[in-house]
Amino acid sequence: MRLRTWAYFIAEAFKSIFRNGWMSLASVGVVIITLFLLGSFMLLNYNIAFLSSDIKSQIEVVAFLDEGVNRSQVDQLYLKITGFEEVEEAVFVSREDALQRLRAQMGEQGYLLEGYEDQGNNPLRDSFEVRTFVPEEVPELAGKIKQLSGVSRVDYGSEVLDRLFTVTRILNWVGVAFMIALGISATFLIANTIKLTVFTRRQEIMIMKMVGASDWFIRWPFVIEGLVLGLLGSLVPVAGLYFGYQYLVEWVNFNIPFLALMPTAEVFQFLLQTLFILGIGLGILGSSFSLRKFLKV
Amino acid sequence: MIEFISVTKRYPNGAEALKNTNLCIEKGEFVFLVGSSGAGKTTILKLLYRELLPTRGTIKVLGRDVVKLKKREIPFFRRNMGLVFQDFRLLADRNVYENVAFALRVIETPTREIEKRVMESLELVGLKGKVKSKPSELSGGEQQRISLARAIVNQPAIILADEPTGNLDPDTSIDIVNLLRVVNLRGTTVIMATHDQEIVDRLRKRVIEVEDGEIVRDQLKGGYRHEA
Ligand SMILES: Nc1ncnc2c1ncn2[C@@H]1O[C@H](COP(=O)(O)OP(=O)(O)O)[C@@H](O)[C@H]1O
Ligand SMILES: [Mg+2]
Repeated sequence: MRLRTWAYFIAEAFKSIFRNGWMSLASVGVVIITLFLLGSFMLLNYNIAFLSSDIKSQIEVVAFLDEGVNRSQVDQLYLKITGFEEVEEAVFVSREDALQRLRAQMGEQGYLLEGYEDQGNNPLRDSFEVRTFVPEEVPELAGKIKQLSGVSRVDYGSEVLDRLFTVTRILNWVGVAFMIALGISATFLIANTIKLTVFTRRQEIMIMKMVGASDWFIRWPFVIEGLVLGLLGSLVPVAGLYFGYQYLVEWVNFNIPFLALMPTAEVFQFLLQTLFILGIGLGILGSSFSLRKFLKV
Repeated sequence: MIEFISVTKRYPNGAEALKNTNLCIEKGEFVFLVGSSGAGKTTILKLLYRELLPTRGTIKVLGRDVVKLKKREIPFFRRNMGLVFQDFRLLADRNVYENVAFALRVIETPTREIEKRVMESLELVGLKGKVKSKPSELSGGEQQRISLARAIVNQPAIILADEPTGNLDPDTSIDIVNLLRVVNLRGTTVIMATHDQEIVDRLRKRVIEVEDGEIVRDQLKGGYRHEA
């Protein structure tokens, strides 16, 4: 179609948006709320993933060995442990190393440990510190290592891990449920706004059909109206979240320096596209519902 | 040019508005479709512009089998006919010029042609001096003339008018019918459904009378009622 025709469609769409001012505002409002929530959840998720990868990297399986294992038994265990495919690396920590480390951690109170250095007196055990590729595999791997002979006890941050995974999962499901409900109401409201436009323009539509305007010529202004409503609805959350997040990152950097949030530019690369596409998508979905039901062309 | 072959139209509620009808209209004819209210006149016109599909039978218009038209072909098929209705069907928020131009704009006529053709049409119906008026500022007769200007602006082969004088007083009705005659003289086929006895009797054109969905009379130079 000609450029002039597209200009006409767009002009018609905007006329309708202003004519149905309150309905348009309500539709845009719900799109804004939906996408604002979606955006916030995405930001939260990104940062949880970012932070937990930090926490997860500190989580490892510690396998304490039986008392009195000898050098060759240790070597064999090392081979067996690194033989598991989940294992990224395993480090042997002898009881002497462990004592040293403990003393370093105790700092000034380190003198309390004096007298335990002798082989016979050292209360600590030899151990392996095992790191996995994927944190989710830790519990299973811990079980396998425990079965090995020469291993007396296995430790891992099971509770921390389990809780983190559970919280993220629940949060995500709640978020998804919320967003679906809101997305449906946004679509519904857009559909209703378009229905109103179809109704106010029914005389025009009737005449267009009468004089032989093509179906798409009649449809386009409504499709564009939905698209513009969706697009307007995504602009506000995109801008709001962008500046809000930037401010948050600065505030956190200043006040809670050890908490590392994801940098704004990195997060918004994906967020921006997602929100725009979803906004436009909701708009087109809404108008196509309405067209099928009310326009009948 | 227009042909109904054994056309039956039954509405979804079971009402049989047209019963096994045969009909033939040649290019350039002026035809009155008469009959009392509910006889089936509107149904015939709607079948012609493919607002309705027949339940049975074949309808040919301008060499096309109307029943076989694809959905996306219907708008292009309609560009061959100008429609006029009793209720004018104008856009209240646009002036006379825009009402007529609308019909050309929505079928994407090039801009430079629009003005020329709109002014020609308005001149023919005698409204050239009122291009800026809104429909509400004009009389019923003038409003129907806008609607007629819109119907002819795309130079259609056929004009279908469904009781175009139904809302007008007798003198104004005559004006409108005279305009339809002018359009007809320029080669356009005109089919006008009416139950305006005075007009039919005065013009002495071909009269097709419908009664209860059946054609009961088809008479050249006829009157509104059957004359022995
Ligand atoms: N949409 C419809 N649904 C059911 N019946 C209809 C419909 N339109 C018309 N009819 C019936 O079909 C018959 C013919 O109607 P119509 O063609 O409008 O007559 P006319 O135009 O001669 O007054 C009438 O009995 C009318 O009640
Ligand atoms: Mg009728």
